[in-house]
Amino acid sequence: MQTVMALAAALAIGLPAIATAWAQGRIGPAAAAALSEKPELSTTAIILIAIPETMVILGFVVAVLILRGNG
Amino acid sequence: MMIRMTRVRIAGPRVLLDGTLRVLQDLEVVHVVRPAIPGPHGAPVDRESLRLRRILDDDETALRLLQASPSSGAPPGAVALPRAAALARRTRRSAERIARALAALEDERNVLLRYEEFFAAFDSLLGHELAWPDGRAFYVVLRAGAADAIHRLRSSLDAAVDGEIELLSRPLPSGETAVLILASAAVATKVGQLLSASRVQELPAPEGLGETSMLRAMPALRARLAEIPRAIATREAERLALRDAVGPELESLRAWLHDRLLVLEARAQAHTGFQLFVIEGWIPRPELDQLTTRVEHDLGPDVLVEAVATEPWTRVDAPVALANPPLFRPFEVITRTLPLPRYGTIDPTPFVAVFFPMFVGLMLGDVGIGVMVAALAVVLRLRSKPRSTLRSISAVAGACAAFTVVFGLLFGELFGDLGRRVLHMRPLGFDRQEAILPFLALTVALGVVHVVLGLTLAVVNAWRQGNRREALGRGVAALMVTLTVMALLAALRLLPPALFTPLVVAVLVAFPILVLLEGVIAVVELVSNFGQILSYARIMALGTASMMLAIVANRMVGAMGSVLVGVLFALLFHIVNFAIGLFSPTIHALRLHYVEFFGRFFSPGGTAYRPLSHWHPSEGS
Repeated sequence: MQTVMALAAALAIGLPAIATAWAQGRIGPAAAAALSEKPELSTTAIILIAIPETMVILGFVVAVLILRGNG
Repeated sequence: MMIRMTRVRIAGPRVLLDGTLRVLQDLEVVHVVRPAIPGPHGAPVDRESLRLRRILDDDETALRLLQASPSSGAPPGAVALPRAAALARRTRRSAERIARALAALEDERNVLLRYEEFFAAFDSLLGHELAWPDGRAFYVVLRAGAADAIHRLRSSLDAAVDGEIELLSRPLPSGETAVLILASAAVATKVGQLLSASRVQELPAPEGLGETSMLRAMPALRARLAEIPRAIATREAERLALRDAVGPELESLRAWLHDRLLVLEARAQAHTGFQLFVIEGWIPRPELDQLTTRVEHDLGPDVLVEAVATEPWTRVDAPVALANPPLFRPFEVITRTLPLPRYGTIDPTPFVAVFFPMFVGLMLGDVGIGVMVAALAVVLRLRSKPRSTLRSISAVAGACAAFTVVFGLLFGELFGDLGRRVLHMRPLGFDRQEAILPFLALTVALGVVHVVLGLTLAVVNAWRQGNRREALGRGVAALMVTLTVMALLAALRLLPPALFTPLVVAVLVAFPILVLLEGVIAVVELVSNFGQILSYARIMALGTASMMLAIVANRMVGAMGSVLVGVLFALLFHIVNFAIGLFSPTIHALRLHYVEFFGRFFSPGGTAYRPLSHWHPSEGS
């Protein structure tokens, strides 16, 4: 049972981490290109880059809850 | 906080228009706009403005070329314009002449240095007799990576002129290869033709040295190279002398010209008839008495000041001036990265000043890191100028450091668990390492407070703007979020369980009211509110990650075998943790404000309050 819980926790954080990396990998270059044209968009760029991190952060919270549930 | 604006109208005899504008410029409180009355206005671009701009162009170009310090702006003095214009034009020409001469000398030096590099490679040959005294030398530089071309060049030349040449090559520091070909007079022409045919470029002798043979030109070249720094120093001295002679006058002229152009721009906004003028503008309401008194004192009773109206918050074209207490003012650096809020809406700076450092402090939550952030804030403060962006950032960093130390004491953390192991620190609040779920609950509770506060500010905004229905809708949404959270707490027995049913009934009653007021889209917004509340869990996630990194760093001391290596690795990890701690919590605290909090109520699109004032050098040209 503990192995399954550990695997579940790993998946809970691992899959969102991949998704976040994929999203940031696409947003980052687009934001850099936009900033080279319009430096005043830096705030928007920061927000856009930080938005996908919600996935991995919530994944981390879920992983913690799974592991804590396991005692 | 946003200052309430009053619209004023100033009227008087036309002859007093310039005097009135000068008084307004000294006061620096009236944001001049075109009067809301029909009639002729001053020409937007008049002949005087064009002339002054030409003189200003001469003046600023001369100052730039003379490298006058931009901070040494002199106050505008009395200016005799024709003489000042001639001085600016004359100085500009002289400065341009000096700049051209300096650029030419630098170019010449760079070219000669390239030749010197070439001949340094063949330095041992200088002074020796050529194998063929009546022959000719060819100088070639081959590009980097083309060294094998030398062999091909040598064999093809040998074959063509039957050994009547001598070919020497040396590598240059740049990676290129210097090639010297010495040929007898009989074959010199043929060698030249072969080099041209094989598209090998000869290095021509520098112009102005009076020698076509580079070997003989070398002494002249070196003499010229020694002479150039002296020539540059002479020109620099000329530039400095010119700057000392006319710099202060040109600085003063620049300030006067900028001031005059600002007055002319304001005059173009004024309504001018044959006899009278009318100026309209906005001033902060508390400044009205000062304006009235000053105009009456300086211009007499002929010029009248009338307060047209104190603008209601619904007036969208009124300029926006923010005035926050000194404690909150540095946090304007966070709100000003977004466009200004619309007139009449809430300035979020005071709320940012409370929540931003609190969120960063909760994420970092370590006395050691807090002290390091405080040290960084002190360094930034010492290296920044008053009222600069860097000074504001240092104040924000200071507030974040204070919260980080306070939360560090509450969590009992000093570089992770180092404080507990060495100094026997105990958490004054709770231990983040053990109490992960209470920490999560705390951060989500903060999310509830922040989002509900945002919705409440949205109610105030909508009410001020006269949108009563929208205000009620946002109010009901805030109420529903609060009731739902309370119902959950009752279900979890954190509130009396008896409250659960009444709270659920209240939510069910509020729901159709919300849909009635704001439409079906309100349902989506309501659900997104809960999603955004959960987003505050990132505070716990980042805080836990930061703490775990610090603990791992401390455990390296005992895990590496050698204590010294362990300590070095631990230090490295703590430095990495500190670097991450500078960026990640800042970005996520910003995101929580910009997306989750501002998204509820922030309404951008305000016009900046720019009163008619004197020109300040820091504003740029």
